[in-house]
Amino acid sequence: MSREHLGERLSALVDGELGPVEHESALIHLAKCESCRFEADMMRRLKRRLHGLGEPEPDLDFMGRLVGLSRGDGPGGPDRGPSEPPPGGAGFGARPPLGSSRPLGGFPDAGPTPPMAPMMAEETVVAPERRARRRGERFSQLFPALPGGRYAVAGVAVVTALLGGAFVAGGETGDTPVVEPRLSDFAVEHAVTSRFIPAVDTLPSPAPSGPGPDLPTR
Amino acid sequence: MSARGHSAHPVPAAAAALALLCLLLTGAAHPCSDAVPAAGPDDGMAVLRRSAEASGGTAYSAVRELTGEAGEGTDPTRVVNRPGDGVALVPMTAGAHPFVVTDSPFKELDERLLTTLERVYAVGDAGLDEVDGRPARTVEAVRANGTVAGRFWVDADTGVLVGSSVYGPDGRHVLGFRLTGLEPGDGYWPEEVAGDSPWGDVLTPAERGELRARGWVLPEHLAWNLGLVDARATLHAGRKVVHAVYSDGLSQVSVFSQRGKLDEDTRTAVPDGSVGTGTGGTGVTPQHDTIFGGDGGRYHGMWQADGFVYTVLADAPSDLTASAVTALPGPEDSGFWSRVQRGMSRLGLL
Repeated sequence: MSREHLGERLSALVDGELGPVEHESALIHLAKCESCRFEADMMRRLKRRLHGLGEPEPDLDFMGRLVGLSRGDGPGGPDRGPSEPPPGGAGFGARPPLGSSRPLGGFPDAGPTPPMAPMMAEETVVAPERRARRRGERFSQLFPALPGGRYAVAGVAVVTALLGGAFVAGGETGDTPVVEPRLSDFAVEHAVTSRFIPAVDTLPSPAPSGPGPDLPTR
Repeated sequence: MSARGHSAHPVPAAAAALALLCLLLTGAAHPCSDAVPAAGPDDGMAVLRRSAEASGGTAYSAVRELTGEAGEGTDPTRVVNRPGDGVALVPMTAGAHPFVVTDSPFKELDERLLTTLERVYAVGDAGLDEVDGRPARTVEAVRANGTVAGRFWVDADTGVLVGSSVYGPDGRHVLGFRLTGLEPGDGYWPEEVAGDSPWGDVLTPAERGELRARGWVLPEHLAWNLGLVDARATLHAGRKVVHAVYSDGLSQVSVFSQRGKLDEDTRTAVPDGSVGTGTGGTGVTPQHDTIFGGDGGRYHGMWQADGFVYTVLADAPSDLTASAVTALPGPEDSGFWSRVQRGMSRLGLL
């Protein structure tokens, strides 16, 4: 065995899938065979680099269509609530994303046991996004039959904002004082300038001097 | 010859059709045939200008009676004109106080009124008449449709204006006055009465332009026959009040405008029983048919619009007053859509 190269067992060694005896003999071979050792080293580096690429993010539009399929056309049928997961387990997005399972060959720094803490953290991050998505699905069901429902909603929103803005702008400005015109002064001024002076006893008495009744009240 | 005769006929027909078309077009352009300046020789203007000169420099006393619908039920008043001092109105009934108008510089205003009268009406000399046993020259202001809008009587001996009348489009005698017992010379003058005079701050055209730029509504014309003849301002409680005088040469409409709004809880009553309006134009309809004073030519109206309070006082026929009021910003409606419309206007969307 020491003269034969490891071949396919090298991949199993890197993935940690060899039995104890085979694992021991493979390590002995690697200690003697420089080419297998080099190949094993390269394979481990490749595995580590692939694992470091991160999680692939699903396309939102594609995900929405999948959700629509699972809600309307799936085996669960329309009786299932919009927030319920599809039959057969957790709904889409509830499972760990692709690539987040235990990596090939085990985690490089933590031994054969997969770490659970990162997966729990991913769950807590994904949950609010999923809840918001479900609220959007609920709102979109208000306009299920309208082909241009989104445009109608946008139009209503624009008109509402326009009317609301105009209503606010059309209100009284805060700096407008409350006045009570001095009609007695006006009557005298009109009579004097027009010189069509009415009967004297109908003319108002002259306005008192000083601040008149049209003092701003606020 | 016959050919010429055939060819001559279509020309008058075409001319008649053209004339008819012009008549229809001009008729469509002027829905009211009298809503245009009246043309005429205006030979009565010389009489009125001589009267304006003579009235300012002639001392006299007389008894004034108001005529027309505006004068119904009023008592006669003694009028004393003293050049340099002004005009005093001394009541002939007990309990009333004298009223004195100081001799203010009315010459320019008189000239503007006469110019407006000449522009709007055909002012003709209607010959000699008699007022209180004295010969008087009559001057008529005629509308474009031939109806008489006003008459003046000028004393033939002194040149004093001894009477005037203003008529509505329907021929009703709306307002006027007549002097009887005319006596040249000084009469009783109430020395104890301090005279009233127009507001002293005369607004120049440049100042009026500045006010318009700041949002004040101060048009040069409220209607084709209502021109701005005088504009003055004063301060009430530290805030500017503008008095714009519009006239057709016969009657005057005073528009008082000031920034502000009316108090919702305040209803302002003016003499004669006319009532001002509350906030939101309460008591005022868009057609303004509920705020005309019913006292025959006397009109009081008050409303708020676009941050201004307007008060209109007029001694004029109702059609003239209606033209003035409708030309001003209308009373504000406090309804939802009115507020939205007002907001869109302020945002520049309308």
